[in-house]
Amino acid sequence: MDELIEQFAVEARELVEQASGDLLALEADPGNRERLESAFRAMHTLKGSVGLFELGPMQDVLHQAEDLLSKARAGDIAVDVALIDPLLAVIEWVEECIDGIVETGRLSDVQEKQASRLFGLLTRDVSDRPRDEPDGGEPAAASAIASDWALRLLAQMPPNDRGGSLVAIRYEPHPECFFNGDDPLATISRLPDLRHVELSLKTPPPETGHYDPFRCNLVIEALCGGPLAAVEAALRLIPDQVTLVTLADPAAEASASDTTPARLPERASTTMRVESSRIDTLIEIAGELVTAKNSLVPLAQDARESGNASLARRIHASHQEIERLVGALYGAVTQARMIPLEHSFRRFPKLVRETSAKLGKAIDLVIEGETVEADRDIVESLFEPLLHIVRNSLDHGIEPEDVRKQASKPPRGRIHLQARQRGDRIEIDIADDGRGMDAARVRQAAVERGLITAQDAPALSHRDALQFVFAPGFSTASAVSDLSGRGVGLDVVRRSIERLGGTVEMQSTQGAGTIFTLKLPVSFAMTPLLVIEVGGERFGISMADVIETHKLAANSIQPVRAGKAFVLRDRTIPLLFLADLLRLPARDTDAEDLKVLIVRSGDDDVGIAVDAIAERAQTLTRPLTGLLQAVPGIAGTTLLGDGKVLLVLDLEELIG
Amino acid sequence: MTVTLKQKTVRLSGSCGVEEADTLVEYLTSRPDLEVDLRAATSIHTALWQALMMFRPPITGPAPPPLLPDAVISAVTRFLTRPL
Repeated sequence: MDELIEQFAVEARELVEQASGDLLALEADPGNRERLESAFRAMHTLKGSVGLFELGPMQDVLHQAEDLLSKARAGDIAVDVALIDPLLAVIEWVEECIDGIVETGRLSDVQEKQASRLFGLLTRDVSDRPRDEPDGGEPAAASAIASDWALRLLAQMPPNDRGGSLVAIRYEPHPECFFNGDDPLATISRLPDLRHVELSLKTPPPETGHYDPFRCNLVIEALCGGPLAAVEAALRLIPDQVTLVTLADPAAEASASDTTPARLPERASTTMRVESSRIDTLIEIAGELVTAKNSLVPLAQDARESGNASLARRIHASHQEIERLVGALYGAVTQARMIPLEHSFRRFPKLVRETSAKLGKAIDLVIEGETVEADRDIVESLFEPLLHIVRNSLDHGIEPEDVRKQASKPPRGRIHLQARQRGDRIEIDIADDGRGMDAARVRQAAVERGLITAQDAPALSHRDALQFVFAPGFSTASAVSDLSGRGVGLDVVRRSIERLGGTVEMQSTQGAGTIFTLKLPVSFAMTPLLVIEVGGERFGISMADVIETHKLAANSIQPVRAGKAFVLRDRTIPLLFLADLLRLPARDTDAEDLKVLIVRSGDDDVGIAVDAIAERAQTLTRPLTGLLQAVPGIAGTTLLGDGKVLLVLDLEELIG
Repeated sequence: MTVTLKQKTVRLSGSCGVEEADTLVEYLTSRPDLEVDLRAATSIHTALWQALMMFRPPITGPAPPPLLPDAVISAVTRFLTRPL
């Protein structure tokens, strides 16, 4: 039983996510057939799995929700806010219930009450058709009278506006309704797919002079094509003043009854659910194979040295063959860990929807490229930094509507989340059309924070100046807190992206918006490492960081202020000692030549002196997890051929 | 002022709320010869529409973009052009 519930929880959460993603997509694009089908399937499957347990009320709600989606599929009801809002409410409710169900196997009392409320929201829909079910619900006489005016209204409507099922509305505003702030014609105007309106006066115009302008004397009758639920939603504040009648379209009715029985398209399943830890084990084994294979190289060396050149050649040949296979194996297993970015992206529509409502800003979120895939760790770790950037855009980037209007911008703000694949890397843009950042202010704040001298500041390009928002500590500077609040925590964003092996850049134009570009690896690929020795210990450095290695005579080092430098091809390059950076005991280097790695730090080259350069290795570097994550200067760990763990240094962090 | 009188024309401009109904009705009751110009209005409260339907003055506008959906505007128009 427990296992069954656990399985249910996993599946239900997935289905909830699927349905909520589909519904939000439908809200933006009601004509999206695929999303409608997908939402229906999710609801259908969810109902099915709920049916395994004693969750009657939830079953009823989901059944009703599925029914509505099935009607929408048949084209019987429109896909619009009035349909989607209650369905989203159902999905959210299901999501909230899952934890409780796992614990107790049932719904709480509160949740059961919510169920009946949700059920009410859903059932007041087009399912009742007065003309076909004269004895369903209302007394027959009442509906016959009601239909009278409705049919007359239908007759008044120009024939070419008819078609589809219609809702007839008779709205007799209360005479005192103006005092309640009602604006009846505006209310009617908000009805979905309004086709026809007739106005009349309850009482004939009085003698002039006796007219009370604040007494409502209107009767409004209207026909609209929207689903009953949407009409009811639009009129929810004045239920006592309106009468509604649904007028079914005979043609639609006939076709609807053909398609309503919910039948799922039979699809052969081509996927299977595998626990991610199993795939991780495979990857670990593949990683160990990589290192095991590396030990063949010294073996071949031994064979050659002991005079057996042919054995050495054979070992070498096997090594190459194994290397190829291990590479393929590793590629295949990493492929199994790839998931679409959608897993992180799909949480944003809801977030933006809720936050923008809370902030009172109208904001559209456009998502593109959510099908681009990357390693599961990368996709999942991306959510936090993305969230940070999107929140910044919502809070500080996008201006309030009145400010936007003054700036001749469209009143609705826009955030564009776009992903694309570039070779073995992915690029993600997060662009907003908000107020942008003031480079001059960033520059000034950078000077105030001592990040740059006042003399150097003006020489900085607009773009370079903006990058200071990523500087650690810049965030807390009170001087920039009103600087669209942007600096806040962006150093954290940069660090988490860099930990994933990525980079983050920002461009901003004041008044026009800001764009963040994240560049990340698709997966944690095997990378060539340079193994170096310093202070008696060995460390790995990614070859990608090293521009060249250089042997430096001790006497060519020149002291420059507090530091040291040397000249390489007519350029002065600062020299740092890795032992100092790692706080390891320094070797007496005065007499010897120095081994120096030339690495790039920002826009400058820096020389880093090490004791020895040991070897090169193809290894798989995994990012640090848990407590180790907080250790600065360490990019990850890798296994060496001799089975030892090697720390891989993050040079940029060490230098900075 | 969103309801203003200039020569023979009552002009509704901008957002005309329910509170303007009084002013409009005063003009319309005091002078039956007045015309009403809706072209500068951006929104008109039902109370004002109702006053127009009661007094049926000659009306110019409203101008596009529509203040209300076509179906509502044409209902008002039909009402106003219907013989008493």
